[in-house]
Amino acid sequence: MIVVKNLGKTFADGTEALRGISVTIPDGDFVAVIGLSGAGKSTFLRCLNRLVDPTKGNIEVRGTDVASLRGRALQRYRRTVGFIFQQFNLVTRLSVVENVLSGRLGYHGTWRGLLGLFTERDYELARQNIRKVGLTEKERSRVDSLSGGQQQRVAIARAMTQEPQLILADEPMASLDPRLADVILGILKDYNEQQGVTVLVNIHVIELAKRYARRVLAFNLGRLVFDGPVEMLDQDLEKRIYAGSLEAL
Amino acid sequence: MSLLIATVAGILIVVFTGLANTSVRRLAVVGCVGLLIAFFAMSFSEVTGALSRHTTHPTLMGFVPLYPPLLLILVASIAGLLATFAGGRAGGLTLIAASLATVVIALLWRSQPAAIVGQLSLNGLMEALTGLALGGLLTASGWGRSRLRWPLLAAGVAVAVGSFLLLNSSLGHRYLPNAEGYYRLFTPTSESTARSIMDTYNDSLEDLNRRRRSAGLSLLEPLESLDDLDKQRLPRTAAADTIDEHGKVISRGFRIVQPADGGYGTPLVFFFAGLMLGGGLMLAWRPQLRSASDLVSGGVIAATVSILTPAFAATDFSFQRLAEGWPFLLDFLDRSWPPNGNALKEVASEMLITIEIALIGTFLAAIFAIPLSFLAARNLTQNNSFMRAVFGLTRGFFNIDRGIDTLILALVFVAAVGLGPFAGVLAMAIHSIADLGKLYSESIENVDRGPIEALESVGASGTNVVRWAILPQVAPLFVAWTLYRFEINFRVSIVLGLVGAGGIGFFIQENMGTGSYNDMVVAIIAIVIVVNTIDFASSYLRARLV
Repeated sequence: MIVVKNLGKTFADGTEALRGISVTIPDGDFVAVIGLSGAGKSTFLRCLNRLVDPTKGNIEVRGTDVASLRGRALQRYRRTVGFIFQQFNLVTRLSVVENVLSGRLGYHGTWRGLLGLFTERDYELARQNIRKVGLTEKERSRVDSLSGGQQQRVAIARAMTQEPQLILADEPMASLDPRLADVILGILKDYNEQQGVTVLVNIHVIELAKRYARRVLAFNLGRLVFDGPVEMLDQDLEKRIYAGSLEAL
Repeated sequence: MSLLIATVAGILIVVFTGLANTSVRRLAVVGCVGLLIAFFAMSFSEVTGALSRHTTHPTLMGFVPLYPPLLLILVASIAGLLATFAGGRAGGLTLIAASLATVVIALLWRSQPAAIVGQLSLNGLMEALTGLALGGLLTASGWGRSRLRWPLLAAGVAVAVGSFLLLNSSLGHRYLPNAEGYYRLFTPTSESTARSIMDTYNDSLEDLNRRRRSAGLSLLEPLESLDDLDKQRLPRTAAADTIDEHGKVISRGFRIVQPADGGYGTPLVFFFAGLMLGGGLMLAWRPQLRSASDLVSGGVIAATVSILTPAFAATDFSFQRLAEGWPFLLDFLDRSWPPNGNALKEVASEMLITIEIALIGTFLAAIFAIPLSFLAARNLTQNNSFMRAVFGLTRGFFNIDRGIDTLILALVFVAAVGLGPFAGVLAMAIHSIADLGKLYSESIENVDRGPIEALESVGASGTNVVRWAILPQVAPLFVAWTLYRFEINFRVSIVLGLVGAGGIGFFIQENMGTGSYNDMVVAIIAIVIVVNTIDFASSYLRARLV
């Protein structure tokens, strides 16, 4: 269970990215976070794994107070949260399997990681997840030889290899061909259903949110303007979500 | 003669530029601005005293009290600049008038006879200008950044005032004695003063000639009139400054001005006048030959010429001496041909040592530079104040080390560990650490941030983020920079031999000293071949890597 109370983030330049966000998400949910760019979706997701430090409020993920974590404790928390980036953020000079294996680094000490001494189980998990995203025959290829869609699948396999309890995906299809959206969201949906892992996806295409998510969080200018089941999304509501947001673009 | 050439060269440059339909106004600006700079900052005529260190080459400005019409040259340069921008036929005609006035007055001054003159020090002017330049530089460096603007302005004012006061203090006068009263005006002396100085000279001549005779030198004639002053030296007593008991200068000694003996600025003044004359003629004929950026580009060209000319003068640049030395050069080439094939064996082994010095020097440098470069990368060291201090120290070490050239280090190490390649290797390794470290750390600073963020978010420790996100990105760049440094180090290691640090340079020096030019030329040919081979191989490999 994720419990967020009165979350706020003001950046050093004075921009208020989030204001007073309070939301509770039960385990195993599939949540779409919608809103225009600049609405605070990315900042919200990044606060949940502390790539961004919140300036106000509380975040509790399965009993852990996330906002106050430091050092080792933060690393221990982060290894249970898979994060998928819009720009994939892979090390393109390394092979697919090396990138996927790097998802296990949070479970090993510094020396083991430094020398690349991954265990047999790590390799097992990596191969399994590469199979899940359908890249088994590309296992040894360098990432920079893959297409954009393949690269994002590698990034998803890396997140899965963390054996996460929560997956955060920040606009995972935004830099891909629109037709690939179904592939990416399909993989995440299957994973959510089979493993019971909570998934939060930032999407700006409402149609996709409706098709995959059970629940929708809508942001506008840093505020949570809607929180409810996907069926409640109608034309009226959509208008409200996107109203007055043009100046934020 | 050289003045005529300078003037005509100036005119011709403008005329051909104009015929090519390019901006003539720019060159007119060069002439006017250059003349303005020359008036205040370039040596024009020679002034002598009793000793060779009394000889100076002051600017036109310095001679104004002696010959007030020189001030018209200043007026001409400013009027010319204004006329250039007023434009039109009238502007062109004004330029012509200004340039002709400059040439006539400069020639009239040069035809003046030599004269005994007094000196008037402009105390504090040099000190004030130095302070202004230092403070101005500091202020200008922060003007673009709004946060630093006011602190740096304050610092600039403090530096300007501080350096002015320091240079003016007794401390400044002790360590920089030439700065005190550096700028001087030359003032006319009365006939009776000049006469009494000549009498003093004639009185001391007997004593002087007695000493010259015992030294076997030719005897000096007494001065009959002021016209004899040419090429003569003043008596020491007349040329010496009057100094009080604290070492402070009360009044400056006398000097002889020789208007006809020019400095490096003399031909330049005529060249600038030629540019103005040519510019005036072309603008009077076709006023439309101009473009928008003339003032800026003309100013830049004038400043460049004004910096280069004294540099040529300071380095004694002379085609005449090159021509005189030409036969020796030919003789040298003649004696070194044909190459002596028997030297090949020794050349090959010395060349191998040279390559090995570069190889080991670069390798050792890379070993130390790789860990240091991570400490010198800004993006990895901004987390806490301890790391920031480490960053500052590492960067500081790099900057100091980079300033000390391999050759200088080699001299030190030859003294410490003795002649031979080991001294060369040490010198090369130590200097290259800084250079490689800086290149490496810049590569680290330019890595893609994405993978770093990704590995932070899987919970990897800081060391593992470096190992898995940064190292794979920078490793090929590190190899490329190391190869590049090896190329440079090979060329450096050739010269290292000249200071006794082993290798082919030592071979060249030895054979040059003993006159075995036929052996030496084999080494030179070998160097040309190996340098090109290594450069080619290295750039091929680097292109494949990046």
